[in-house]
Amino acid sequence: MSVPVGHYQYDRIDRDFLQARIAEFEGQVKRRLDGTLSEDEFKPLRLMNGLYLQLHAYMLRVAIPYGILDSRQVRKLGKIARRYDRDYGHFTTRQNIQFNWIRLEDTPDILRELAEVDMHAIQTSGNCIRNVTADEYAGAAADELVDPRVHAEILRQWSTLHPEFTFLPRKFKIAISGSPNDRVAARFHDIGILARPGEDGAPLFRIFVGGGLGRTPVIGEELFDSVREEHLLATLEAILRVYNAHGRRDNIYKARIKILVQAIGVEAYREAVEAELAQMDLERYRLTPEAVAAIRSRFAVPLLEAPADADAVLTEQRRADPLFDRWVRSNTHVHRDPGHIIATISLKPAGGIPGDATSAQIGRLADLADAYSFGEIRITHLQNVVLGHVRKDRLRELWLGLSEVGLAEANIGLIGDIVACPGLDYCALANARSIPIAQKLGARFADTALQAEIGALRINISGCINACGHHHAGHIGLLGVDKRGEEFFQLTVGGQAENGAAIGTILGAALPEDETVDAIARLVDCYLGRRESGETFLETLTRLGHEPFREAAYEAV
Amino acid sequence: MKRPVRLEPGQKLVLTANRLLDGRTVWWREDGAWDLRIGYAVLLDADGAEAELSRAVEEAQREGVVGVYDTAVLPVVPPEPVTVREKIRAHGPTVHPEFAVETAQ
Amino acid sequence: MKLFELGERTAQVHDVLVTVGELADRDDARAVLLESADDPALLRPYLNRLDLVVLRFPIFRDGRGFTQARELREYLRFSGEIRAEGHILPDQAAFLRRCGVDSVVLPKNGNGDPGLWEKQLRQFPVAYQRSVLPERSAGPGLRVEEAS
Repeated sequence: MSVPVGHYQYDRIDRDFLQARIAEFEGQVKRRLDGTLSEDEFKPLRLMNGLYLQLHAYMLRVAIPYGILDSRQVRKLGKIARRYDRDYGHFTTRQNIQFNWIRLEDTPDILRELAEVDMHAIQTSGNCIRNVTADEYAGAAADELVDPRVHAEILRQWSTLHPEFTFLPRKFKIAISGSPNDRVAARFHDIGILARPGEDGAPLFRIFVGGGLGRTPVIGEELFDSVREEHLLATLEAILRVYNAHGRRDNIYKARIKILVQAIGVEAYREAVEAELAQMDLERYRLTPEAVAAIRSRFAVPLLEAPADADAVLTEQRRADPLFDRWVRSNTHVHRDPGHIIATISLKPAGGIPGDATSAQIGRLADLADAYSFGEIRITHLQNVVLGHVRKDRLRELWLGLSEVGLAEANIGLIGDIVACPGLDYCALANARSIPIAQKLGARFADTALQAEIGALRINISGCINACGHHHAGHIGLLGVDKRGEEFFQLTVGGQAENGAAIGTILGAALPEDETVDAIARLVDCYLGRRESGETFLETLTRLGHEPFREAAYEAV
Repeated sequence: MKRPVRLEPGQKLVLTANRLLDGRTVWWREDGAWDLRIGYAVLLDADGAEAELSRAVEEAQREGVVGVYDTAVLPVVPPEPVTVREKIRAHGPTVHPEFAVETAQ
Repeated sequence: MKLFELGERTAQVHDVLVTVGELADRDDARAVLLESADDPALLRPYLNRLDLVVLRFPIFRDGRGFTQARELREYLRFSGEIRAEGHILPDQAAFLRRCGVDSVVLPKNGNGDPGLWEKQLRQFPVAYQRSVLPERSAGPGLRVEEAS
């Protein structure tokens, strides 16, 4: 087959490596079954192959490095959903996909199926460096300075089975973006990297450290402003060494790097990293231009050709069809090529399960990607799907194709575009169900005209303090809590993940599950009643402060 | 760590785990076997549960289960867990009624 | 105590194994036991007379030993034997070797089967990052051949 657009093309060496990893895991499963490995010993080993034990079954989290898939990989995911799961998968807030009904005994076979299309589940869990995430508009957005995917791939490779960093104090998440408009929540990661071009053409990297959500939400602090490409890996090694040696191991809730950075301060952390760098054999860790070029050469670049009137055709089609126009307004983004556009496909149908897709939908996405976007599909950290390079004059055809399979919801960035973790319906860690609340909210605000009227408003729902639903970063955030076996939800407002990252403020006491949707509806009404012209929810909140919103949320309680 | 179960008056305990091979939720029967249906779970008093629990934990590897623990139920037919979490384990995810778990014969 | 060699170096048996704190008073000590919380830099004054540093893993999930071993090799240029003992798994054999560990004290249960350790050392043909070992490049990019 041809080289895929947008992600690294494996060669024989990479494929042999995946087979070796599967054989290793198969041996570990065997040792678990015969009792040589205890559950406590096996658990970290299976987690590092993406396998969790949840409430009803095992869950397999498959890696989608920097969120990018080609159509044959997408079809394989559909096949796995059909054959080994219950015909659907769940796209996560870290650009991965999870299958909820997996059997341990099937897992080596599933991993072999994945390896056929150069996929794996390595380091999608465990106390190691997790799958690296990147800007969902990478290589397509008009505002991009550096395509982050080549370096995301370099980080994926470097972190894979790293001998020193596979048993860290806790999980470790890295995100990278090359746009001045941070779309990866860089400052909510253990390490966030923003790339920009340097004077010599090679990229420079701004590195944030110690951000994260979870029990203790922290906004990452800048460690270095301008790391040169050749020193990128050395710098990351040094950051990880300090963390591995000094991160807390006595308390799981205080083991993330953010706690260490908070404890000693970012200046002391920087000094410690510099002390490591001063002792390191930098030549050994040098990322050479040759190595970067070799990896870059494994990425195909789309040949962007569009007719001269592509833009005019789209303008005319939007004028003639208000429904299509509404979808274009909410679900597309400016492409760097004037004849192309970036289309986001919502996996948030009103009343549906955020991020879930059936095998039929997954198969259809693969077909549409082949037809309209060079066979490339991106998964976003907001649990949607992006086709990155759609010709403007063919966008309406794509939209019609999406409508046929219920994937043409016009709600990206609006109140219906709810982010939610799987919650207590599946997850062994959860305290409350996230999905039913998301479904009720989705149904309450189903009217797309109403959603457009409300404007930019993001709701994030987490079923527990681990914050997989990123509730701290939601304009409105919901955190599920357990009160004597009953579900309650704590409301936060004012969170923001991207530029101007902010942690939401708790409005008040947690509400019983059956009062939560009404309280949010009153919050929205409060905003609609008091906003000044053109103000977003966040802007009104900033102008008025929390008090009117707190009163609105609790007025009937 | 799991907190010790505090029983309200009228409640009983059942033992539960997940099967090692496929992860399915199972319940401890009177005869010491594990069953997918909570309707077959043996109801224990707080006093009796401790010995049964340590026996079940000890036999977990041989019986092919992991994560054995006890949880409170109302002694109706079939027994109904007290917490939302255990209700969901007994009956299946609330968002997919088509995957509801059988609880009795 | 059964020893297993991860690489070329032959494991040495030492009668006297002291803690870092005891080193100053024990001129005869040629072997030291490093706990996972100990800073390897404390060994700097004694490295010339040490033949063996034993890294104790309290639990296999405590990965500080990997950083300690690599630091001994890379920063302190320690050329003697490094050994891992305690709760370690055969699944960690190649990681230990690539961080500079020469030998392990085999666990006393099923994880101590030397066949498992042998097999794991040969599991992966390549690695995706440089280590303290002199590994050869394996094709373009970051990859190196895993020595076995």
